[in-house]
Amino acid sequence: MIIRAIYFILTISILFTGCTNNSYIDKPSANTEQSITQDDELDEFSDEFEDEDIEEESDPFRGYNVFMTNFNDGFYIHVFDPVAKGYDYVLPEGARKSIKNFFHNLTYPVRMVNNILQGKFENAGEETGRFIVNTTVGILGFFDPAKEHFKLKPHNEDFGQTLGYWGVGSGYHIVLPFFGPSNMRDMLSMYPDSYVNPIVYNNENNSINLTNSTDESLMLTAYQRLNDGSLKLGDYEELKKDAVELYPFLKDIYEQHRAKLIKE
Amino acid sequence: MIKKILILAALIFNLNATEVDDLNLTFTNKTNTVVDIVKCKLFTSEERNDKIIEAITPMFDFQLMAKLSLGKKWKSLNETKQAEFIKLYVHRMKKSYSAKIDKYTDETIIINKITQIKKTRIVLNSSLISKDEKVEVIYKYHKPKKQIENKDKWLVYDVIIAGVSIVKTDKAQFKAVLRESSIETLMDKIR
Repeated sequence: MIIRAIYFILTISILFTGCTNNSYIDKPSANTEQSITQDDELDEFSDEFEDEDIEEESDPFRGYNVFMTNFNDGFYIHVFDPVAKGYDYVLPEGARKSIKNFFHNLTYPVRMVNNILQGKFENAGEETGRFIVNTTVGILGFFDPAKEHFKLKPHNEDFGQTLGYWGVGSGYHIVLPFFGPSNMRDMLSMYPDSYVNPIVYNNENNSINLTNSTDESLMLTAYQRLNDGSLKLGDYEELKKDAVELYPFLKDIYEQHRAKLIKE
Repeated sequence: MIKKILILAALIFNLNATEVDDLNLTFTNKTNTVVDIVKCKLFTSEERNDKIIEAITPMFDFQLMAKLSLGKKWKSLNETKQAEFIKLYVHRMKKSYSAKIDKYTDETIIINKITQIKKTRIVLNSSLISKDEKVEVIYKYHKPKKQIENKDKWLVYDVIIAGVSIVKTDKAQFKAVLRESSIETLMDKIR
């Protein structure tokens, strides 16, 4: 009950802070042709690249975020990556892909509900088709015949995207331990999503949740992330090569990518 | 009179269409050249990357990208610093591009749509398709008033991969560095 009350208050508060903070979303550029002087080449592009100036200012968790980014980075390099490499060595790729499919299939309710909440009924239908085909023909979701044979594509949607779709801004950026970059909107959205996510424990009366306790749910989530991570070994290191300053780099990539997912 | 306007309108419309067609052809040729170089097993990886960078350099406006990623700070630099920054930035871009070629396996590139949004702007929307996924890659082109020597007519000034703009990401990072330290520190970091 208390959790729900806190959640409610926080949601209300981001509804307000969020609105002033969605400046990263691309505004349609003006169609009016401006006269351009050769020496002021930069001004010609100012409508495209100047808009993050406002966003940059509002980063109240910056100190904590930088710390947590470094923590996550260290955790990834010294703990997660070696473990994932060992796991990668032990289990063949095919098996790990099947396990990934299995978890993906299980979280179908999250995608279905959020597609509906955004009025994307066709996508919700396609997701349902995928769930039926993959659970039966695909043997409990370990295989993905829906995509391979029936051309049914997945449509990933979560509650953060649903809120974004309805105009809720991202709110302040916040880096979560182990999970990495997030923002107020997306972080709080994990709670409503947990109601319809079978592998997350929400409460004992929730029949969708397959796990019986928070501990079990954390173990399962950690395992899922390990399995997913083992299929993307080296990607993070590769990405990091382009970083000059890790925190703003990952922050910007996350926010731009989320904005893009919401627009789709 | 109306007839004349119509002809003029048709001409302008046609002109735009040709520019888009031209770009389509240039882009396709360029990607084919790159793929050919990658597939040719005669080169060492270093030779191969040099050849690819040589092939793609005419289509990018690295100078403008460097300027855009510095934003307002650019104007406050003296000419020597500006030149030095551009040199470092271009070098960094090429290095980053080389690292990406090394990772290339069997992806294919298809053009989804080319739109001319302004007289001097074209947006090319493409997809990079691999075995498991499809990533949207958008190339933003501008047309300089005068064609630059050794460069294409239309030049890429930003690449947006899965919604993430290279220039914007660089700008955010550079700004964070510049807030606490000098341009010299930033240049050391990208060296």
